[in-house]
Amino acid sequence: MNLEWSGQERITASKEKVWSFINDPASIASCLPDVRQTNVLDAHTFDATVGVAVGPVRGSFKFKIALEPRPDGNHMDMKINGGGLGSVIDLLAAADLTAEGDAATILNWKGTASMRGPIATVGGRVLDTQALRVISTTFENVRNRLSGNPPSQ
Amino acid sequence: MTQSIGVSMKRKEDPRFIRGRGRYLDDIKLPGMLYLALVHSPYPHARIKSIDKSKAMAVPGVKAVITGEDLDAAKLEWLPTFHGYDKQMVLAFGKTLYQYQEVAGVIATSREVAHDAVELVEVEYEPLDPVVDPYQAKEDTIILRDDREPKTNHIYHWEVGDKTATATALDTSAVRIKERIISPRCHPAPLEPCGIVADMNKATGRLTLYMTSQAPHVHRTAFSLVTGIPEDKIHVISPDVGGGFGNKVPVYPGYVVATVASVIIGVPVKWVETRTENLTTTGFARDYHMDVEIGATKEGKVTALRVSTVADHGAFDAAADPRKYPAGMFGIVTGSYDFPAAFAEVDAYFTNKPPGGIAYRCSFRVTEASFAIERGMDLLARKLEMDPVELRRQNFIKKEQFPYSSPLGFTYDSGDYAATMRKALDIIGYEALRKEQAEKRKRGELMGIGISTFTETVGAGPGKQFDILGIKMFDSAEIRIHPTGSGIVRAGTRHQGQGHETTWAQIVGEELGLDPQELLVEEGDTDTAPYGLGTYASRSTPVAGGALALAARRIREKAKKIAAHLLEVAEDDVEWKDYKFGVKGIPDKSVTMKEVAFAAYTNPPPDTEPGLETSYYYDPPNLTFPYGTYIAVVDVDADTGAVKVRRFLAVDDCGTVINPMIVEGQIHGGLAEGFAIAFMQEIKYDEDGNNLNTNFTEYLIPTALETPAWETDRTVTPSPHHPIGAKGVGESPNVGSPQAFVNAVMDALAPLGVTHIDMPLTREKVWRAIRNAS
Repeated sequence: MNLEWSGQERITASKEKVWSFINDPASIASCLPDVRQTNVLDAHTFDATVGVAVGPVRGSFKFKIALEPRPDGNHMDMKINGGGLGSVIDLLAAADLTAEGDAATILNWKGTASMRGPIATVGGRVLDTQALRVISTTFENVRNRLSGNPPSQ
Repeated sequence: MTQSIGVSMKRKEDPRFIRGRGRYLDDIKLPGMLYLALVHSPYPHARIKSIDKSKAMAVPGVKAVITGEDLDAAKLEWLPTFHGYDKQMVLAFGKTLYQYQEVAGVIATSREVAHDAVELVEVEYEPLDPVVDPYQAKEDTIILRDDREPKTNHIYHWEVGDKTATATALDTSAVRIKERIISPRCHPAPLEPCGIVADMNKATGRLTLYMTSQAPHVHRTAFSLVTGIPEDKIHVISPDVGGGFGNKVPVYPGYVVATVASVIIGVPVKWVETRTENLTTTGFARDYHMDVEIGATKEGKVTALRVSTVADHGAFDAAADPRKYPAGMFGIVTGSYDFPAAFAEVDAYFTNKPPGGIAYRCSFRVTEASFAIERGMDLLARKLEMDPVELRRQNFIKKEQFPYSSPLGFTYDSGDYAATMRKALDIIGYEALRKEQAEKRKRGELMGIGISTFTETVGAGPGKQFDILGIKMFDSAEIRIHPTGSGIVRAGTRHQGQGHETTWAQIVGEELGLDPQELLVEEGDTDTAPYGLGTYASRSTPVAGGALALAARRIREKAKKIAAHLLEVAEDDVEWKDYKFGVKGIPDKSVTMKEVAFAAYTNPPPDTEPGLETSYYYDPPNLTFPYGTYIAVVDVDADTGAVKVRRFLAVDDCGTVINPMIVEGQIHGGLAEGFAIAFMQEIKYDEDGNNLNTNFTEYLIPTALETPAWETDRTVTPSPHHPIGAKGVGESPNVGSPQAFVNAVMDALAPLGVTHIDMPLTREKVWRAIRNAS
C-alpha cells in the first residue's frame, strides 16, 4: 500500500536557522510525536521508538531515520525505515525551504510511504489520516520550536 | 422401539456445547506444556538474508527458536502436499513466497512470552517484486518457485470433455454468451482457529497429537510418512472442533513446528493460531477465474458449454483435491442441464499468496462449477429474452434420463429437477412476484428474483477413482452392542458441528431397533475409531453413513441367529419386522434386539461366537448428487446500492432425511455463509501483495442483524445406490445460494442494462454499477 501527503508550514525564523535545525538529528527527533525513545547514531542518523495505535495495530514501532541534506541548503530528504508487530513502513519525507525575507521561512513538505503487513490491512481511510497526523505534527513541531511556540504534541 | 430415521431428535451433543462444556483444543493443558508462536514475513516475496535469534533467545522463558534452516538440517523442511504433486515449505527457507508466511517459531514457557519474543527475532529481508495476479503469473516474467523444474509459474493443465465437438457446436449455435465469471478468494474462517498440542512421551516413545482435525487418520498417516515415526507410535486425537468447513483438512506449519519441538524437547508443545494467522496463512477457498461460454438455439435449447478457468493456487500447489482430480469435481459444471456437448479446462498458477484451494463447505470445486453454470444460464436467459425459469425447465435432465451420463464424465444417480423447481415456484409465488416486479419497474423501482437450480456431486468416494495420499476414499464404522442393549458406535469421520453424535445413532438405531439415546457415538481418536478419511466434501453421510447402516445390518444378521435360538425356531423362520425379530406366521412371538443383546453375552447358541459387535469398511459404488432450487427476492436501493434480501427459499433434495431438524440447521448455516460470500467476503490483495482482510473488522462475518430469514422445504428422491438412500446436505446451501443472490441482484438491475458484477456485491460495487449505467 502506497500513500502520499504534502503540506506547508510558515516558520518565523531565518532559513539558515531552520536549515541548521532540520540538519540536527537530536532536534528532529524531539519533534516526532509519540516518541518513546531516541538514540542519535551519528551526524545524520538516529533510531526512534514510536508508539503506534492504528486500528488493531497497537504497540511500539522502531525506525531508523537518515537525514540526507542537499548541498544547496534548500532541500532535505528524510528516509525513515522500520516497523514492528510484523509490519514494515518505508517512508520518505522531503522538505523544501524558501526564505520569506530574513525572519521567515516557508517549509513545503511531501511524504510518501509504502506499508506492508497488518498495518496495510487497516486500509486507507484510517491509515491515511493517522500517517498524515504523524508527519504533519512533526513539521508543526519544527515550526513551533523555531517560532518559540509550545509544541503541538 | 419406533422409527429413528426421519425424526427431529434433539442433538445429543448440544447439552455440553450450550453449557460451555465442550472440550476444544485450547482447553487442553498438560503438565510442563510449552507454547509456540510464529514469526511471519511482512513481505509477499523476499529473499531471507539472515535470521538473528539471539535477542529472542535471551528472553527469560524462551526455550528455543526454530528456523527453516534448522528444519532443513533435520530433513523436515518440506512437506508433501495432499495429492503429492508438489511440496510446501514448513518455514520459509531462502525465500518467502507470500505475506505472513511462517519464517521461524519461538517456543516458550507461556503464550505471552512466546509472542513477545517473536518481536525480537530479527529477520533481514531483500524484497523482491511480487506476483499477485494469476494472469501476470501466466506471463512467467517473474518465476516464483526456484525449487521446481521447469522454471514456470504454470502448475498444471487439466481438461475434460470433447473439445472439438464443443467448439463446433458453439460456432454453429444461433445464440451464444461469453462472460468471465470469478469465484473470488474467500476463507472458511471457522470460529475456532487451528491448533495442536504435540506431546512426545520419551519414556513410551509415543507421540500424541491433539489436533483440530477433520481427518485424524489421514493426519496420522501423513505425520508417519513425513517423520518416519511408525504409525503405531502416533496417536491423533481430534477433540471437539469448533467449525472446519475444509479449513482443518490440510497440515499447517504450526502443526509441524510444534511436533518437532515436542520431539526434541520431550515436553508437550501447544500452538493455537490467532485470527489473523487463520485468515492469512491457512487454506483459502475458490479463486477461480472462469470464462464461461454457452451456445443455444433461438428457442432456448442449450447446445454446448465451454469453461476455461485460470486458478490461483498461491505459492504451493496445496489444493485439497483427490490425487487424480487436480481440479476436483469441476466437471459437474454442466449442472442440472442436458448439454449435448461440453468441455472444461483448468490452468493453475503459482502467485505470491498463501497456498490452499481447499473445499470450503464444498465437494472439491463444485461451488465454483455451480456458480459458473447458474450465472451462465441467467446470462443466456437474458440474451434470449426468456424467463430464467423457463430456460431451466426446457434444459433440465429429465427424471426418466437417470442414471444420467454427463458429457463431462459423471453418472448422476437420481433426481427430479422439474418437480423440485415446481414446488419452489409454488411456495414462493413466482407468478405473483413477477407481476409485482413488472409494476415496480414501471415506477422505476429495482426488484429482482434470482433462481439457482443447482446439482452437486458429493460423497467421495468410489475408491477406484478417488484417493488421498494413495489411500482410497472409503469410510468405516464399528458397532459394539453391550449386554443390556445400549452400545457404542465409532466412525472414521470427525464432526465439527454436523451432529454426527445424533444422526449416526439414528442410523444404527433404525437398523437395529435400539434407542438412539442409548447409542454413544465416538469419533476423532485414532486409537479407538476405525480408519476413515474424515469429514469434508459432504462425504460423511454418503460414505460413513453407508458404513454405519451396513455394519448395523451385519450385527442384525448375527442377531437373527441368536433370535432364532431364543425363539426356538429355525433361522429361516425368523423375520425382522417392526424393529424386532418375529416368527413368520406367529404374530405374538418375538424378541427385541435388547433381549438378543443380553443373550449374545449370556446365552449364545452353541455354534455361535459370543458378543455382538462388528465393523464395516464401505467403498461406495458411485458419488451422490444432491440438488435443489433456491430463490432469492431482493429490493435494491438505487440511491445507495444497498440490497435487501426480502425472501429466500431453499428447497433441497438430499435423498433420505435422517434428522429433519439437523438438515434444516445445516441449510440455515450454509445459507448464511453463501449470503456472506455473495455480499460481504473476499480475501483481497493490493498490488504489493498485502493481504487486506486479516481480521474480522475487514473480513466480515454476518450476524443475525444482516442475515435474512430463511424459508426451507424439501423433496425426497432417495439415492438408489446408498444403503439408506441418503445423499448428504451439509454443502448444498453454500454451493447453491451465492448465484441465487447474484442472479436476483442482476435481475433487479436488468432494466439498467447491467449484466454482471463480480462477488462480493458490496453496496459500493452495486452503487457504482447503477451510477455507471444511468
